[in-house]
Amino acid sequence: MDSQILKIHQQLVDQELTCTTLVQSKLDALKQNTNNTVNALLDEKALALATKVDAKIANGETIGLLEGIPFGIKDVYMVQGTITTASSDLLKNYKSAYTATAIQKLLDAGAIPLVKENCDSFGHGSSSENTIFGAVKNAINPDLVGGGSSGGSAVNVAKDYTVFSIGGDTGGSIRQPAGYNNVYGLKPTYGRISRYGLMAYASSTDCVGPIAKSIEDIRIVLNAMSGQDVKDQTTYASAEIDKEAISTSEDIKTIGFFKNFIESEAIDAEVKADFLAAIEKIKAKGIEVKALDFFESNTLVSTYYTLAMAETASNLSRLDGTNYGNRIEAENLKETYSVTRSENFSEETKRRIVGGNQVLSQGFSDEIYLKGLGLRDQISENFEKDFKEVDIILSPVTPSTPPKIGDSLKDPLAMYLSDAYTVGFSLGQLPTLTVPQGTSTGLQITAAKNNDELVLKFANFLKDTI
Amino acid sequence: MTVDVLSSIKGAQPSETVNKLFEVIKNANLTNNNSFNNNHNNSVSLNNLREDVVIDSSKLEKQIIIENFPKEKNGYLVVSKVIEE
Repeated sequence: MDSQILKIHQQLVDQELTCTTLVQSKLDALKQNTNNTVNALLDEKALALATKVDAKIANGETIGLLEGIPFGIKDVYMVQGTITTASSDLLKNYKSAYTATAIQKLLDAGAIPLVKENCDSFGHGSSSENTIFGAVKNAINPDLVGGGSSGGSAVNVAKDYTVFSIGGDTGGSIRQPAGYNNVYGLKPTYGRISRYGLMAYASSTDCVGPIAKSIEDIRIVLNAMSGQDVKDQTTYASAEIDKEAISTSEDIKTIGFFKNFIESEAIDAEVKADFLAAIEKIKAKGIEVKALDFFESNTLVSTYYTLAMAETASNLSRLDGTNYGNRIEAENLKETYSVTRSENFSEETKRRIVGGNQVLSQGFSDEIYLKGLGLRDQISENFEKDFKEVDIILSPVTPSTPPKIGDSLKDPLAMYLSDAYTVGFSLGQLPTLTVPQGTSTGLQITAAKNNDELVLKFANFLKDTI
Repeated sequence: MTVDVLSSIKGAQPSETVNKLFEVIKNANLTNNNSFNNNHNNSVSLNNLREDVVIDSSKLEKQIIIENFPKEKNGYLVVSKVIEE
């Protein structure tokens, strides 16, 4: 699909459409939607901003590319004055005191925030069922999950309720729902976009990223949000990605895929066949394809979850009803903390906090947590070695198609294992894009660290190839 | 200390599902057993450290912080206490 941002921008400039009409129609669609994608509508703010854009156009002033473009925000981002719940009971009345850097950059560019979007509570899930706002329903088949944790964001984009949405990806939370709903979703290189104002899940892999319907829209939004930020000292300065620079792919000579992903017993026969067919089409274009060795899915999933649980146990310890959150009084302070957390966290969130405290506690940390860190280093080294041999790594997004609503909550281990193809790239902090092509849940394109441009370049090549 | 106390979650028990993940880590083969041999850190250069200045929050930000605070006593905001036992 062509860029929706460019199309709407032109319609606004040519006065074929007013920004107020556009924003109102999107708000109406969001309000009526039955996919449970909305935690809160930002209707007053959105309409006030739209009126300003219309006035500017009427005055003959020029508007920026993102000015007047309506977008959605996963409900884990701070937007000053709005309720930011993380889809949890604990923060259901929490009002953001400030605005996240990534969101502020979009607001500065004139984009219009429409909605705080439903997701798994604190990012804890792969289906957007772990939420107090009701399970997000898949855009293509509402009996299936919307994917997670940025499920509401992916469904809103797929349904055209938002032009683009900002998700958060810790172990696949942008890429997997993008795949489940046939849209594009990018997890940039860790540190390219500031995490300031994103509610922390696992700080060492948390990434901010866009979900959209075209590569061009991903590029525009990525450029707008990128950059060093003193409020997040893991950020780095990056060059803007030029439209022309990603339009040719002559410098991509060799790509790789992980043998064990495809030979795994867990992969759906159709996903496997489609993936191999895509590989053949790429080979036919004269690109060399190498089969690479990688870690077993079990090791990847276990390493990721061990480290993510340890980090989330630490990050969520502040949610005690005294510093933050919906306080439940009990007979003494200790009981108050404990009752507040027991009553207000979901089963999945509690499972992860308890797991995290287990691995961080004395006697366990060496044989599990520190070993997990060692495995992560080995995984990163493996990627460095691979990217000396290939320019791009291509993988399926998920081993199988989206589960029915209700199934993931019954079987958490199956849910964790369904992240097998996404978590490795998170641990490696690598730029990875889901494209809605190749298999029924899409393909992932990964490049070496800081090489987000190459990912978009290859996506353009794939668009014309398969 | 048990996990329910560590987590401040009543009746919390280690989960069987999560234990299965930990077993995989315990049995994994680590070729280089030095987890601090990390070349992939995100350290900040001394030149990029932020200025050591106090930045005052806006009036609106302060007002929302107070509004959010779960407990107030005699005009003061009540903050958490570390439980040592």
